[in-house]
Amino acid sequence: MSKMAQTDALVTEVEESGPFARVTFATPAFRSGLAPGRFVLADLGGYLRTPLFPASLDTPGLEAGGFAVLVPPTHPAAVLRPGARVGLIGPCGQGFDVPTATRRLLLVASTAHLPALLPLAGQKPDSLERPGFSVALLLSASTAAELYPIQLLPPALEVHAVTIDGSAGHRGSVLDLFPDLVRWADCVCIADDPALYPALAEIVRDTRVGLGHRFAQALVAPPMACGVGACQGCAVPVVRGTRLACTDGPVFDLLDLR
Amino acid sequence: MTTIDLAPDHKAGLTLANPVMPAAGCFGFGTEYARLVDAERLGAVVVGPITARPRQGAAPPRTLPIPGGVLLHTGLANPGVAAVLRRHTRAWARSPVPVIVHVAGTTPDEAASCCRRLSSVEAIAGIELGLPDTSGGSTELANALDDATAIIRAACAAASQPLIVQLPLSRADALCEAAVESGADALTVAAPPRGTAWHASSGRFVTGRLYGPFVLPLALRALRRVAELVSVPLIGCGGIHTAEDGLAFLHAGAVAVQVGGALWRDPACLARIAGSLSSAVEPH
Repeated sequence: MSKMAQTDALVTEVEESGPFARVTFATPAFRSGLAPGRFVLADLGGYLRTPLFPASLDTPGLEAGGFAVLVPPTHPAAVLRPGARVGLIGPCGQGFDVPTATRRLLLVASTAHLPALLPLAGQKPDSLERPGFSVALLLSASTAAELYPIQLLPPALEVHAVTIDGSAGHRGSVLDLFPDLVRWADCVCIADDPALYPALAEIVRDTRVGLGHRFAQALVAPPMACGVGACQGCAVPVVRGTRLACTDGPVFDLLDLR
Repeated sequence: MTTIDLAPDHKAGLTLANPVMPAAGCFGFGTEYARLVDAERLGAVVVGPITARPRQGAAPPRTLPIPGGVLLHTGLANPGVAAVLRRHTRAWARSPVPVIVHVAGTTPDEAASCCRRLSSVEAIAGIELGLPDTSGGSTELANALDDATAIIRAACAAASQPLIVQLPLSRADALCEAAVESGADALTVAAPPRGTAWHASSGRFVTGRLYGPFVLPLALRALRRVAELVSVPLIGCGGIHTAEDGLAFLHAGAVAVQVGGALWRDPACLARIAGSLSSAVEPH
């Protein structure tokens, strides 16, 4: 794993990707250190740096190493243009820890939070290295128009769509479909509104008995000033006090969160 | 090489080879930035704050971006002086520059208790004492003076290292003379100002320390006033983001400066500012 560094990255590509802008960075410094759920802090002009979660870690053509992020059109990274240089600090934090023995990986995300889970969604299913491996995604949005386009997701991914108005997929809440999927899964990775996490945790507790450590992992990313644990500004309440999102997280055991 | 003595009247002294150091509350306990900041290029590192007992700290939200800066409310989160010493003394002993520990002096007992624990630790070259920010109406000033005096005297009696007192910005000029009379070897001017922001998603107000370039004119004004009133070494702190900002404090009477929130966005700025200011200092 590469050491944390402060470095510049070159923006090599900016393109539309569904409701997001896909921004690709070339940066040799982070060649091996980034992983799903880990992040970099980008200098995008604000007083504080902005955390960016890689949506893709295998960027073809970037021999020197690189990654891509998906951001909404209003995000400060969306106005970057190819050739721009952006200051980055990273890689930061503890990412998703999917055990190698996992065979049924469940991902849970609203469209807005989906990009951080995409590196996990793209894992090769049922390969020689991982026979029987499959990934399901429980994806939510208010309406079909706001839902991340299914055709942009990896074809082997089993997608369960939920919209509040029922215009696509199941009508209602992710909480309606979550119990059955939790029974199926042997590892769950979540990136959603943290307000939803207590309800998800309750379902996990009610549905599964004898859970292993980190059966369900959830991403929590409050504003972060330093990214290294120095400022104490990104506290996340957990069962035994608080932890820092930038160094202890941003991925936590769902059942540890308060 | 030009050196700066922050405690010329103290038996141990506190000599820096460079006038630049990180500000308390911004640099953790010194190890967090090990991969991003070359401490060797600084004058000292200021670590903490610490308190006598462990403090869980404030409930989230703690970090609120505001126009041109950030409001931070940590509630002095730290594991307490005993745990801090257990975890960090060895690293401090290896520090290439003096280590100054910031003690949050909330009460005389707390300050004395912390300073007593620190006084036997050879790796600690100096103690910076933060005072409670009791800014309010003028009727409270007498109380603030009494409180500050009691806290500084308690810390001074317990500490063996030089004592730097960090003055609250709002009362730097009102407290500086009492701080020196009570035993301060040097003064930091000033602690971050406090402000309040509305956190819409939790529906509550959050009060905390303010960081940003907008603090600089406030701190610079306070330092100039303090420089007229006392003759101990002064450390300028507040809104420093560039070498020019630091130079302004040196011109105003500071012998050294602390860089706070700027290092979060740009850890490399510490070494850059240190490089630029090293030639600007005169022996104290």
